[in-house]
Amino acid sequence: MTEDLAQYLVDSTLEVFSTMIFLEIEPGEVLHQEAASMESELTSLIGLAGDLRGVIGVHCTRDAAQGITAAMLGMEIDELNEDVKDAIGEIANMVAGGLKVALAGQDVDVELAIPTTVIGTGLRTSGLAGGSRFMIPFTLPVGVFGIELKYVLS
Amino acid sequence: MAKNVLLVDDSSTMRKIISRSLRQAGLEFGKIFEAGDGQEALAVLESEEVDIVLSDINMPNMNGIEFLREKAGRDAIKDIPVFMISTETGEDIIGEAKSLGAAGALKKPFTPDKVNEVLGPLM
Repeated sequence: MTEDLAQYLVDSTLEVFSTMIFLEIEPGEVLHQEAASMESELTSLIGLAGDLRGVIGVHCTRDAAQGITAAMLGMEIDELNEDVKDAIGEIANMVAGGLKVALAGQDVDVELAIPTTVIGTGLRTSGLAGGSRFMIPFTLPVGVFGIELKYVLS
Repeated sequence: MAKNVLLVDDSSTMRKIISRSLRQAGLEFGKIFEAGDGQEALAVLESEEVDIVLSDINMPNMNGIEFLREKAGRDAIKDIPVFMISTETGEDIIGEAKSLGAAGALKKPFTPDKVNEVLGPLM
């Protein structure tokens, strides 16, 4: 199931970037469990409930967060401001929405929370005893970001 | 006459993107008003001349479904068409939105071409 979930998240992320951000991104090899982490300065989290419980995290370096926001809004961004937090939160929302649609096709119902975005380094998700965790790193022209899923499947 | 549009989304980024997409899609419109949730949207509808509402579903304070339900009970604004723009495009949630008067739905993410195809007839 992890391979399917990772592919759904890759597909959803590629769709978001190709249709609304117009930045080319390249997915890397999936990182599992303790290896599923990266250095980041801004993270947006969105909770999942239902048949798949857990959290999706979008972890960005400063350059990636600012570059993605600049591409989304068509303006220069030179700091991690409210626009950046809002933009990365919306990416988390759309990526999670794509996962929800893909899982609905497998009769797996998922409810999405409203995204929360935090600025800071060294953020790690915890909880969900017995849960699985993986991260997909993506490379783009202005930095790197990672899509993390920590989950328990009912 | 160009129609005035109300964009309802808790993401200011998404409101800017939708506004830009309407222009890129070549659609003609008048004023664009913005609201961050259903409560703010109701206040705008009560005070401004709005012809079409484009609304997210998953929002804090008052979500898109609650907004539709509340709007349906207010005679002065109940007939203003609402189109849902959301990541939430499951049959259940869209069916509920349509039962409350929504004219249709557009899935995020979207392209300007898709915006033109779906919203063009309304504009």
